[in-house]
Amino acid sequence: MMESCTLTTHVMNSVDGVPAARVALSLHRLEPPLMVWSLLSLGTTDEDGRCSGLAAREELGPGTYKLRFETGSYWESRGQTSLHPYVEVVFSISDHHQRIHLPLLMTRFSYSIYTGS
Amino acid sequence: MSVNRLQQLKGHILPQNKITAMAGSASPLTTHVLNTATGVPGANMTLSLHRQDPLTSAWSLITTGITNADGRCPGLITTQMFTSGVYRLHFDTAQYWQSMEETCFYPYVEIVFTINDPGKKHHVPLLLSRFSYSTYRGS
Repeated sequence: MMESCTLTTHVMNSVDGVPAARVALSLHRLEPPLMVWSLLSLGTTDEDGRCSGLAAREELGPGTYKLRFETGSYWESRGQTSLHPYVEVVFSISDHHQRIHLPLLMTRFSYSIYTGS
Repeated sequence: MSVNRLQQLKGHILPQNKITAMAGSASPLTTHVLNTATGVPGANMTLSLHRQDPLTSAWSLITTGITNADGRCPGLITTQMFTSGVYRLHFDTAQYWQSMEETCFYPYVEIVFTINDPGKKHHVPLLLSRFSYSTYRGS
């Protein structure tokens, strides 16, 4: 049986220098052979900008995944506009991935994604 | 000779500068791909620009292109076509790294952005390594 991969994220508001709390997000997987996205889980970041349990009920086997952050709604809830209505990050999980940490740093007009530990 | 007159003459004798300037400003939307791992422009990366229909939310293709040696792709869209709305720039990042015999964590990068002021120029750069990328509203 394949070991499951864990996936965590951390959203940071780089304008105010605080974690981005209450950002809604969703995890999807690209399903062959039709190559359509299927929704795996929904979540919201906590006060520390983190979201746990994204892959609690699913084994993240090798494949193509998408993490979508409702960033536009986040800025809107703070009474601000933003350039990007949402952020979608598409990434590949391969055999050897055990732990993937995908932090998102954002301002109203920029964002950056990296994979760390 | 006055400064104004000199500038007028310069305009006459260097017409190719004017043409270049016009061509450079032809697209109100520009991009620039930078390979932050090696510190060079991201050349020969295929990309496409799409716009979302506000009623149906369906995406339609506006143009496809490939970055030049400087990591840029002129001629993305015309001023007339560049109306307010939601756009998407799609970059074939994995293919780009594959051509250099490297893997990439991100099969592609899609940047979705809202244009409320199409009269202004918009610059959407992509700074990319195999495991990270960033974008911002540039000028």
